[in-house]
Amino acid sequence: MLLKDQVALVTGGSRGIGKGIVLALAEAGARVGFVYRGNQAAADVLVAEVSAAGGVAKAYQGDVADLATAPRVVGELMAAWGRVDVLVNNAGVIRDGLFLRMDADAWKTVLSTNLDGTYAFCKAVIEQMVFKQRSGRIVNISSVAARFHNQGQCNYAASKGAVESFTRGLAVEVAKRGVTVNAVAPGFIETDMTEAVRGKAGELIKKAIPAGRLGTPDDIAAAVLFLCSPAAAYITGQVLTVDGGLSLGAAVA
Amino acid sequence: MTSDDIFARVKRQLVDALSVDEGDVTQTARLQADLNAESIDFLDIVFRLEREFGIKIDRNELFPESIFQGDPDFVQDGKVTPKGLATLREKMPYSDISGFEKNPSFEHIGDLFTVDLICQYVAAKVAAK
Repeated sequence: MLLKDQVALVTGGSRGIGKGIVLALAEAGARVGFVYRGNQAAADVLVAEVSAAGGVAKAYQGDVADLATAPRVVGELMAAWGRVDVLVNNAGVIRDGLFLRMDADAWKTVLSTNLDGTYAFCKAVIEQMVFKQRSGRIVNISSVAARFHNQGQCNYAASKGAVESFTRGLAVEVAKRGVTVNAVAPGFIETDMTEAVRGKAGELIKKAIPAGRLGTPDDIAAAVLFLCSPAAAYITGQVLTVDGGLSLGAAVA
Repeated sequence: MTSDDIFARVKRQLVDALSVDEGDVTQTARLQADLNAESIDFLDIVFRLEREFGIKIDRNELFPESIFQGDPDFVQDGKVTPKGLATLREKMPYSDISGFEKNPSFEHIGDLFTVDLICQYVAAKVAAK
């Protein structure tokens, strides 16, 4: 049990990559709180799934873009379990469209969820990790889209690029006190978020991935779990890309 | 609580916060120059003192941030002006600035943050409880 007696918090936890992360952390022995925005049925199913497997999970409803959500959720988590060892900022949204047609709402929605939400949850746990525990792991979920650009994702790329810079900046400030801050950058993962694009261009995308398949939430969860494990204690401020080689830009043969 | 008690407890907190040897934490030790404190360490020290002594330390009360903000009224030619010194006395009532006044070089302003400053401050806060 890699994370025995630890407490973890995952945002955007009820579906997709977040769900994979919740399951992996719980399986590793952590008690896992996760935040979901709207899909209570999915959240309930996940809590049941974790407990059926002998783990402990709690669901917290909230929109991470609302800056009041993080202190409330972290407060409730602390009241229940008294500490927070792992924070995974996974909640993210897309509002794709060419910049020429991108309105302010599409810009703000993406930035406020992906970037402000990450800020708010880090802010809500940092004093506990840095001063009270002198230990902690923060993993921010970025995207290969932060560095390798698709048309129609200016807002998403900006938000994830900012998350990666923020990750490095925070890592520098808290390293001395046993807290690591890293990012995981998934490539093309089979989730609801990528469903529309997969429908249109799934085969084409698969050809561009040297590994020859799309990624799964489990692929990402394994990387997150590694960064939260004792083996990764000396790794901080890094972006771990998990994309089957997509970002290597190999020519399609 | 005697001043010796306060010093002993402050010392223990500084040893933990700054990972320094007990022998290094003397009354006159300067937090930055002698004990290598960085900015996050100042926050840590405040947090620990609050917990150790059950006191509330308002932001800017013990370690004022960004003193003077480069205002020319307060700093000229690298020296703190008389107006600046008066402000310093007001902002840091627990600090003995008489030594600093003799050569008020701005680059040495961090030397005012000493172990003794913390002890004086804590003594006043504990007495006021």
